[in-house]
Amino acid sequence: MTMDVTLNVKRYNPDAAKPASYNQEYRIDLEDGSSLLDGLIKVREEMDGTLALRCSCRSAICGSCAMRVNGRAVLACNTKMKDVMPKDGSPVKVEPAGNMGVVKDLIVNFDVFWGKIKAVKPWLQPEGPVPQGEYLAPNEAMLHLAGVMGCIMCGACVSDCTVLEVDKNFLGPAALAKAYRFVGDPRDAHEKDRLKDLTKYGGMWDCTRCMQCVQVCPKGVDPMGRIMKMRDKALAAGYNNTYGARHALAFTDLVRHGGHLDELRLPIKTFGIFNVKEMLKLAPIGMRSQMVGKVPPLFPKPIPGIQNVRRIFEKVEAKR
Amino acid sequence: MKYAFYPGCVARGAAPELFASTIEVARRLGIELDYEPMRGASCTGAGVLQEKNQRLGDTLNARTFAMAEKAGLPLMVICSTCQGVMSQASKRFKDDPAYLAEINKDLAEEGLQYKGTVEPKHLLWAIIEDIGIDKLKAQVVKPLKGMKLAPFYGCYIVRPSAALGFAEHPEREDSLEQVIKAVGAEVVDFRGKTLCCGFPILTINQNNALKMVANHTLEAKGNGADAMVTPCPLCHLNLDGYQPAAAGLRKQPIDMPIIHLPQMLGMAMGIEPKALKLNKHLVSTKKLLSDLVLAP
Amino acid sequence: MFDHDVLVIGAGLAGMRAALAASQAGVNVAVVTKVFPVRSHSNAAQGGINAALTDRGDKWEDHAYDTVKGSDYLGDQDAIEIMCKEAGSEIINMEHMGTIFNRDAEGKLGVRAFGGQRQARTFFVADFTGQALLYVLHEQVMKSGVRVYEEWFVLSLIVEGGECCGAVVMEMKTGEVHTIRAKAVIMATGGIGRVFEPSTNALICTGDGMALAYRAGAPLMDMEMIQYHPTTLKSNGALMSEAARGEGAYLINKDGDRFMKRYAPNMMELASRDVVSRSEQTEINEGRGVNGCVLLDCRHLGEKLIKEKLGQIRQLGIDFANADMIKEPVPVRPGMHYVMGGIRTNYDGLTSIPGLYAAGETACVSVHGGNRLGANSLLDTLVFGKRSGQHAAAGVKSKQHAAGVTDAYSEAEKKKIQAILDRPADGGELFGKVRQELGETMNKYLAVFRDQQGMETAQRKVKELRMRYEKVIVHDKGRTFNTNLIFTLELGFMFDCAETVIVGALERKESRGAHTRTDMPKRDDANWLKHVVQFRTPEGPRIEDQPVKITQWQPQVRSY
Repeated sequence: MTMDVTLNVKRYNPDAAKPASYNQEYRIDLEDGSSLLDGLIKVREEMDGTLALRCSCRSAICGSCAMRVNGRAVLACNTKMKDVMPKDGSPVKVEPAGNMGVVKDLIVNFDVFWGKIKAVKPWLQPEGPVPQGEYLAPNEAMLHLAGVMGCIMCGACVSDCTVLEVDKNFLGPAALAKAYRFVGDPRDAHEKDRLKDLTKYGGMWDCTRCMQCVQVCPKGVDPMGRIMKMRDKALAAGYNNTYGARHALAFTDLVRHGGHLDELRLPIKTFGIFNVKEMLKLAPIGMRSQMVGKVPPLFPKPIPGIQNVRRIFEKVEAKR
Repeated sequence: MKYAFYPGCVARGAAPELFASTIEVARRLGIELDYEPMRGASCTGAGVLQEKNQRLGDTLNARTFAMAEKAGLPLMVICSTCQGVMSQASKRFKDDPAYLAEINKDLAEEGLQYKGTVEPKHLLWAIIEDIGIDKLKAQVVKPLKGMKLAPFYGCYIVRPSAALGFAEHPEREDSLEQVIKAVGAEVVDFRGKTLCCGFPILTINQNNALKMVANHTLEAKGNGADAMVTPCPLCHLNLDGYQPAAAGLRKQPIDMPIIHLPQMLGMAMGIEPKALKLNKHLVSTKKLLSDLVLAP
Repeated sequence: MFDHDVLVIGAGLAGMRAALAASQAGVNVAVVTKVFPVRSHSNAAQGGINAALTDRGDKWEDHAYDTVKGSDYLGDQDAIEIMCKEAGSEIINMEHMGTIFNRDAEGKLGVRAFGGQRQARTFFVADFTGQALLYVLHEQVMKSGVRVYEEWFVLSLIVEGGECCGAVVMEMKTGEVHTIRAKAVIMATGGIGRVFEPSTNALICTGDGMALAYRAGAPLMDMEMIQYHPTTLKSNGALMSEAARGEGAYLINKDGDRFMKRYAPNMMELASRDVVSRSEQTEINEGRGVNGCVLLDCRHLGEKLIKEKLGQIRQLGIDFANADMIKEPVPVRPGMHYVMGGIRTNYDGLTSIPGLYAAGETACVSVHGGNRLGANSLLDTLVFGKRSGQHAAAGVKSKQHAAGVTDAYSEAEKKKIQAILDRPADGGELFGKVRQELGETMNKYLAVFRDQQGMETAQRKVKELRMRYEKVIVHDKGRTFNTNLIFTLELGFMFDCAETVIVGALERKESRGAHTRTDMPKRDDANWLKHVVQFRTPEGPRIEDQPVKITQWQPQVRSY
């Protein structure tokens, strides 16, 4: 069985007299179980040789063919065409991956991507005498790392990261997941240095926890989950004087105290009441809220049974 | 239909208009919200507690679930973030019964135990799945005809889809659009509708948060929206509260009203704007409301 | 023009290991690769890497014997001995550099069983061992500061006065053609998978290195030895790791019968790959298959083991065969996977051209002979990559750059490219269908079973296709990422490889290892215990013999 597919591909030819992106439609016949990549390969091999894209393994391991389909980052090779054909019969919308800059058609610029990977010093840094045989390490720790090692550097997470959209300085989910791979390695002796570096601007605390990377990762790497683990480790290691760390600590403290979030105290605790610069920044919104009569309770009462919440805090925190 | 009602912190704190409008709208939809069993429920952790100690957050949520379970009622939330954090915890409990058993040990002292039967459900989903779009339509006395509304979901009610039951409930994917259409308004599609509003980094990297506010509100505006509608009070806090600052950053006016989901429903049901506390917004809703009055 | 002491072509395991070894020896090293290093096809190796670790009672001699027997006695035993002796230290070295490796209860490296070996000695990282090793070498190369020309495509090798002294290379992002001068060149470009359609190999496996070396005058050896992997998916040829059988999976036919008991009663599913593939094909040919496949049954392994150790191939089964191995058997069939032959080298990686080395799948040392054992390929890349790097580095220390190398070399390549771009559009076709037909022809006539008539048909067809290829047109006339042009050039390399595979297969008048002729089903040690070596001439390959090196294992009847 074959199916009739129309692809609407966003193209860009830098060699044109006046380079500008444009959309081009291709109508192709494909076998039922075909992937999106099968379709694109058919176009470039039999219809239009000028269509440029990266691809290689066709089995979701080389990481070459990340692109956006209907607005979301995917690997073209493990995306079934059927699954992305809109029900209303409109064309499948194919665009280059986001946040990296287009070089030509579906090929994006990976220079910054690799630069950020390199920035996290992605190599094992053991200390002390090298053993005769292997370093001993628990299998569970290795299996845990295997989950991160599954990252194939395809850039899907970077493509759809909402922070990178507004701040190119952010290391991004792929590089931070790579960093975690070493932070979490029992053989690495530089966990603290790494964590310290990663608490700087552009590092772990700049993630918004929007879960785009979790959603689009084709290998289940869960970059955001790794970032959260690093925040936990950074706090435990005593790197708690960034706004991010203070926010997490303040939040936790407020919930422990009252059982709920106290919007008034959270920023004050995060910034510190004597932080004049940040306090002044809060002033306009405070005044505007006053004007519309929208002020959170000044001294919110703890929830009934708060002692139970506090007990849970004590018990669970003690288990770590 | 009766629910154990978990309003979340923000609806009882910085966004009282969400609480008020929810109560108004629920009454008309025949939704009975029972707050009593949930009185002692704590914050979900909002993902922040989880980054410090996931198990701690999970224990608090198991405690909340146990309260709803004890009351024998389905659990309703009115916040995308609560929905997401609870759904993720719920998935962990389902995937790993041994983990839940461990957590239950810490609940026992309070006489609580969570058996794993609760499915937290946002008002948005409940309208579609439990109440029915038709019943909603029947309550619409003042269709929002001609009003162009841009949906803004909030991350946690759309991702990760595996934890949110999208496979079993494909209708959840465009639930907000369905409801906007049901009240007679026009949906304004825009790329930012499922992206992050920036709230979680407001105190960490305010500049980035403001850029997000500016991008989304301006994109919606560029696509012709009169207002944005959100099922997430945290998104509301940021998109509404920090919009003036975002406008300052971009050096251009934005003036995009940010409406809570039940406020939109209430407007279409003919509820007084004051009862919906539409006057409690930082970005004025006056023009929106006057347009509505003037609409034929 | 760029200058480097050692130029490595290819950034898979062999290339990166070579680059690292050369760089550690203190010379100036650069790597040229047509894809980003982590995209190299080494990442697709799933199951593991073999080594006899002596501290746990295994003997390198046992590993060597299994390898010799697996090769159907065509492997050179001196090279096999070196590989098996150096295996242990290479594994430990990779572990020290950061490879995570699955562990045993004591936290030491864990092993799994693999085909054709009497002992479990395959070290692994779940079912993505190649990726795990490749990433570690990539990390080390990043750290070392070795210059990597990423997404640069090699057009030709430069040979002056009989010595290899550089390469002409196209920077794909700009379309610019550069000359890179080097005192030694190490070819590490991998295999020729795409010459066959389908194949487990990635689209980049187009035999560039073999063709480049062959064109430069280095001979290719044992090209007829093409491995068909027993467990590949029908839809797209994707590989289902031997690790599945290593962990205990069954192969069953349509009657649910574990048919391997009739072909290899001792080793069953874990016999050598050539043996298992022949058995499967026989089942299919005799009507006991299921839609041209047999079934890989993992159900009894249990969900936990599958998720922990075979997670990736489980997903492949779900994605590309609609079968979840936890719940149902996955249809598989023999699929083209690996070429045992390649650029002839000695055990230091040196080819017949001074200054030109080769390592990994593109080379033929030969350690795999007529059939490679599973998990020996990764080992081959590391051991001979390292040796090539070390030997090349030692050789360049007292050497000067060849004076005659100028930009004239790149000018000549530019002209050739322009001629292709300028071909008249009328009557010409894109490369796609020619590539497809080449692959299908090879896969039809040079597969698990071969015969004279089929191979001659293939030879005729490939000749016709090559004539069509000479007229193929390139739509894209631009400079930036002209992938249309690159694919067209790659197809030229593929024709060189296809031709030597066919000529080698026609030459070898016996059945040995992966080369099974239905018209000559017996192994013939009296006449064919030798390598087939091919030199390029304008009239086609010129053939020479080379004796097999035998150290301690005389050929015996091979049964599993």
